[in-house]
Amino acid sequence: MNNEDFYKKSTKYNMKKKLQLICVLLFTMTVHFGYAQSKTVTGTVTDENSLPLPGVNVIVQNANRGTQTDFDGNYSIDVAQGDVLTFSYVGFTSQSISVGPDDIINVTLGEDAAQLDEVVVVGYGTQSKRTLTDNVAKLTSEDIEEVPVPSIQSTIAGKAAGVQIAPTNGKVEGGVNIRIRGIASIGAGSEPLYVLDGVPLINSNESNNGSPTNPLLTLSANEIASIDILKDASAAAVYGSRGANGVVIITTKSGANRPATFSLNYSYGVSEPTNLRDWLNADEYVELFTEAAVNTFGQDEGVEYINGIFDFLADGTDWQNREIDTDWQDLALQNGHVQDATFSMSGGNEKTTYFFSGAFNDTEGIVTGNELERINARVNVGHTFNEKFKAGMNLSFSRTNIDRIANDNAFVTPLQAIAQPALSPAYLENGDPNPNTLYPNFLLQDKHSFYNTVIKRVLGRVFGEYRFLDNLKFNSDFGYDLYYQNEDSYTGRLAPFQSTNGEAYASSVGTESYVSSNYFTFSEVFNDIHDLEIVAGMEYNQSNRRFQDVTGIQFPTDDFQTIDSAAEITSGSGAESANSFLSYFARLTYSLYDKYLLKVSVRRDGSSRFGEDVRYGTFPAISAGWIISEEEFLRNSDVLSFLKLRASYGETGNANIGDYAALGLFGGISYNQRPGIAPIQAANPQLTWESVKQTDIGLEYGFLNNRISGEIDYYIKRSDGLIFSQPLPGTSGQANITKNIGLLENKGIEFVLNTKNIQKENFTWSTNFNIAKNNNEVKELPNGDDVVSGQTILREGESLSAFYLREYAGVDPDNGDALYYINEEGGGRETTTDPNEANRVILGQPYADWIAGFTNNLYYKGVDFGFTFTGNWGASIYNGGGIYQSANADYFDNQSADQLDRWQQPGDITNVPQARLFGGNGTATSSRYLQEADFIRLRNLTLGYTIPDRFIQEVGLDKFRIYFTGINLLTITDYDGYDPESTSDAGQGVGVTFYSAPAVQTMSLGLNINF
Amino acid sequence: MKKLYNSIWMIALVLCFSGCDDKLDLEPRQSISVGTAISSAENVKNILIGVYNETGQSPSYGGYLQLLADLYGTTDQITWGGTFQPPRQVFNKNIFIDNGFVSDLWLNGYEAINQANLVLDYSDLLEEEDRDQVMGEAYFLRALNYFDLNRFFMSPDGQIGVPLSLEGIIDYAQDLQIPRASASEVYSQVVSDLEMAYSLLPEDNGIFADKYAAQALLARVYLQMGNYAGARDAADDVIQNSAHSLTSTFEDAFNNDVDSTEDVFAFQVTTQDGANVLVTHYADQTFGGRGGDVTVNEAYLEMFGENDARGDFFYTSAQNEGTLTGKYTNQYANISLLRLAEMYLIRAEANLREGTVIGASPVEDVNKLRLRAGADLLTEVTVEDVLKERELELMFEGFLVFDYKRTGREIATLPASSPKLSFPIPQREIDANDLLTQNPGYE
Repeated sequence: MNNEDFYKKSTKYNMKKKLQLICVLLFTMTVHFGYAQSKTVTGTVTDENSLPLPGVNVIVQNANRGTQTDFDGNYSIDVAQGDVLTFSYVGFTSQSISVGPDDIINVTLGEDAAQLDEVVVVGYGTQSKRTLTDNVAKLTSEDIEEVPVPSIQSTIAGKAAGVQIAPTNGKVEGGVNIRIRGIASIGAGSEPLYVLDGVPLINSNESNNGSPTNPLLTLSANEIASIDILKDASAAAVYGSRGANGVVIITTKSGANRPATFSLNYSYGVSEPTNLRDWLNADEYVELFTEAAVNTFGQDEGVEYINGIFDFLADGTDWQNREIDTDWQDLALQNGHVQDATFSMSGGNEKTTYFFSGAFNDTEGIVTGNELERINARVNVGHTFNEKFKAGMNLSFSRTNIDRIANDNAFVTPLQAIAQPALSPAYLENGDPNPNTLYPNFLLQDKHSFYNTVIKRVLGRVFGEYRFLDNLKFNSDFGYDLYYQNEDSYTGRLAPFQSTNGEAYASSVGTESYVSSNYFTFSEVFNDIHDLEIVAGMEYNQSNRRFQDVTGIQFPTDDFQTIDSAAEITSGSGAESANSFLSYFARLTYSLYDKYLLKVSVRRDGSSRFGEDVRYGTFPAISAGWIISEEEFLRNSDVLSFLKLRASYGETGNANIGDYAALGLFGGISYNQRPGIAPIQAANPQLTWESVKQTDIGLEYGFLNNRISGEIDYYIKRSDGLIFSQPLPGTSGQANITKNIGLLENKGIEFVLNTKNIQKENFTWSTNFNIAKNNNEVKELPNGDDVVSGQTILREGESLSAFYLREYAGVDPDNGDALYYINEEGGGRETTTDPNEANRVILGQPYADWIAGFTNNLYYKGVDFGFTFTGNWGASIYNGGGIYQSANADYFDNQSADQLDRWQQPGDITNVPQARLFGGNGTATSSRYLQEADFIRLRNLTLGYTIPDRFIQEVGLDKFRIYFTGINLLTITDYDGYDPESTSDAGQGVGVTFYSAPAVQTMSLGLNINF
Repeated sequence: MKKLYNSIWMIALVLCFSGCDDKLDLEPRQSISVGTAISSAENVKNILIGVYNETGQSPSYGGYLQLLADLYGTTDQITWGGTFQPPRQVFNKNIFIDNGFVSDLWLNGYEAINQANLVLDYSDLLEEEDRDQVMGEAYFLRALNYFDLNRFFMSPDGQIGVPLSLEGIIDYAQDLQIPRASASEVYSQVVSDLEMAYSLLPEDNGIFADKYAAQALLARVYLQMGNYAGARDAADDVIQNSAHSLTSTFEDAFNNDVDSTEDVFAFQVTTQDGANVLVTHYADQTFGGRGGDVTVNEAYLEMFGENDARGDFFYTSAQNEGTLTGKYTNQYANISLLRLAEMYLIRAEANLREGTVIGASPVEDVNKLRLRAGADLLTEVTVEDVLKERELELMFEGFLVFDYKRTGREIATLPASSPKLSFPIPQREIDANDLLTQNPGYE
């Protein structure tokens, strides 16, 4: 909850309190007599986190009497046995309890799952979800806490309709892509804008080992109060040129007017890969490769040749008797662990509120050598000086230490060990890793080198609010984000490819972003029917980046591992860049009779990134809503409790085009250590932001007092002027140019259903189901030409980055040749053995078109149980390693076990061609290595037990809960690769997997204590 | 108090709303605009340094060009055992049109050509005393790139060459598609560039191209074209006048951090710049390679007679136990492009074919190299002997496929004119340029 929100609530609370007092006085006076059997019941009302709730209405049903809880959530009321007490509080589900013999009734109120009255954060203000005309998905701390994953983004999976969370693979620091309503961009970033407490977060990958790190790893879930995802243009337009991919607004926790509460959480879990694959063992390897060699070289020569190879692979061990049968996969993958400890303290009085938190996370990954350790701390303080002026400050720091392994496309990355034949010993007799393997042994790299990344992040803002008049206030915020990263790496003498007596690499990069936001808010209700709010202001945001690195070789011994001891420095660099945004914005929100709603907003952005002629852009949006259930004809319906129709249209931009992308540039080079220059970028003075125009029509509904509620949305999102790197004829001297070309359309539907299946005193069960369908289509490309890059194509009328491959036609049963469909235009289904003769065709897409989430939460007498399933349908994955792994023994790489199904004699019907060593039989890039990757996954499951208050209050605790939680416990898929959520982190194209680590399955036990 | 607050806020406001506009002008710090790059003499000279750097990068003369030429030309002399697919396709003479090494060779060649064109286009900015030399070097580098692109990509019948772009491109809004020129047009351009370079360049130019570098390359070009008289005279000029001399031993000609006396021209590699991927693929891990992706077969080793030092210039890989060439065992060594030894062999072959003895007799030229290597001297030589001597002397230096093709010799049972012995036009170029035609066999 941010401060403004708190302010609103507290004024409301004051008014209500006065009324309530008067009522209570009246009631007690009028019904004081006549209750011979009456007694006094006392108790405490708390929320689900055991925090006391002040100001809860406690009413005796059918008796016109009631009271309110005090600041500590305590109440006291005179009742008779058999009376029914109703506890109600804004934003929480009301509860009714019959008075029994007990004199103490403690009540825990659950937050209102229907969420129709909740407050959403919309950027430069908040708004009631009820009167909102935008599509905003809100997640609260409960949705994201206790999920034992290091990245914040992963906790969101399956919980917001149309928001796809796509982790790259199972490395702990791995990137996570969030796609809100599909991909709205090709060459510019497709990541949403993250805004934490009003500060746009630095979110650029700064890794230098070829695979990305997730910059938002530095955030800890325990300090986050809510995540609001702005999905449609009406919501995002107030962020102008940076809103096109949606906006994720993160609000951190703050204190409240209540005594200090402490909260502790600790969990420890073990993790393992979600899936293993079957590879040839030593027997099978010898069998298949002998056959392959014989097929290529003939019986005698083949056997002689391959036995020589086996001798080499076995490295002196007795392969004939299979002395060695190494399971390389088992060496590359390991069981990891996740340890998470958090602490927070919050509270306050009428003037000052505070929140302190600290967190520690230690995650050992499932890939050998991969580990992360993070500490976080935060303080949020707010103070009301007087009725006009309040101010505060949020400040956090974090330190994230990551032991990294090489990217997926490096020989020394652990998972490439699956290419090593089982005949090769992993270790020598003396216990050292065996250096004489087919491919460099990653165990040597693991033992003799390291790559360590430390990210230090400081994030904070100071804010002030001054109320000139009751209806006019001014807010000024200054936010600062510092992302500072060091990388240190040393490769020792005995590591693979090391020939320079050691090599050290050190880099440091500091990116700072500061933002100043200043805006007025005018809000007034005229004649009780016109509710008007106007926000207008400006913002300036500048980001500066400074990078240096240095590489040194020739170290005295491997004991010296820092640059200082390098006898020779072989390279060094230093670079600076900056970008700035200057913005003006205004927003008008109006409602008539609390049922006809209108919102208009506009933002004007200028950025240093755009060419001088196209430097400023204007981004307008308009939306309207109608709360139909407020109309006379529906008002008294018993069934329908809420119905709202809303529609919006707006324009946003995508400025994620990199700094200086519009300029034609020459960069410095050196030849024989003499300086020179060379062209590095083709100029495009017309280059500007991508413009996204989005229309959204939505219906929000609630039935049976909102026990059934939800939303249905339909949207069309058109991205125009797509920025991407268009291949140029090589003869022009440049390979690519960055251009605004083309038009892309995403359209889809989202459906959300929330139900409160059971609401009893000791038993509640609620369900959330969401499903979204997104259709992605490339509408226009320059001159209508295809743009092919790697295995994917952009073609008008097709989905974005569709797979464009030769179509594998299986195996000729007569001779074991691999066949490809020729796929000539207008041709039939003729096949060929020559891959060059086969035309490429579109055979799938890398992005899912259906995504769904299904969450259930049950509480029964202190036991809580919750789980979330997610599902993805429609995406395919191309296995870039397939030409080595599953190539019917084309080269000496160990093969996936399915290659044993190879063709052996005429008449064999199989999909695996005849094994031919060096034969290239079926190894061309083709749909042989493409597979659909639909899946349903049990993303998260939690089972907890809260020990009843009576046992713990004696020792001074408010809450004591133990829980089990699991991640990815179950995956249902037909995909044969490692994991449908595992793709290459080495920049090998979208939807491509390449020796990529499977996802992580984690099982943790945890403990919450509040006092 | 209230007034004070009010005025503080108003001041803050005014500050915020004014004077921000100029903050949107942020200039890059590590690069300069195209306009700046082509407006001063100093920068034109800087671009020339860039052309050397570009030409010497891995996809071209940093090593892949030479590696592919030898893998493409081998019948049984060497074996590619490395994991990389693109060189394996070349080794197998079964190249897919999306072969990454092939398209990078094309791209890098034309990047260098465009930069050389820019130097020539803006040469009038240069000071008088520098102009000849700078232009001469640009002509030399442009010719080098066009020559090898043309050799690799020309159609199997020798008719269609590569696209010829002779003007520097900085405006990328224009139509950039150009068709392939005829192979002979490209060769004529190469010859005329080298003649220009020869006339403009000084006798000696340090590590950069001098007039004899141009002349030596011209000798190679003429030999390729079958103009033996031209080849002979150019080679003779280099031998007689360039002041280069053979190193005292064969071994000394390789793995040098600075140019040897024999290097007429070499691409420079230091620990901090330049590329040498020949070491990557020819050497074992002790020398910074991948263990020996290219192993040498008996068939080649048997070609050497006794006592020939060149036949002993091999070692056994510590990783795969294969036989590896000793020519690439220093990962920061310069890459020799034009060794004087080649000039002797060109003069010998051309004299034989023309029936002349300009400079020296063919047998003298051949024996000059054999003497250095300690091999038995010959009493007479035929063209076949010279060709064999080329294979003994120049193997692993990027000559094999061109020598076999120009002399009509079969490679791995493929006739020299086989479509499989011409590179395909890269798929990405066909995709980006409608005017290109694919070579036969790859359509």
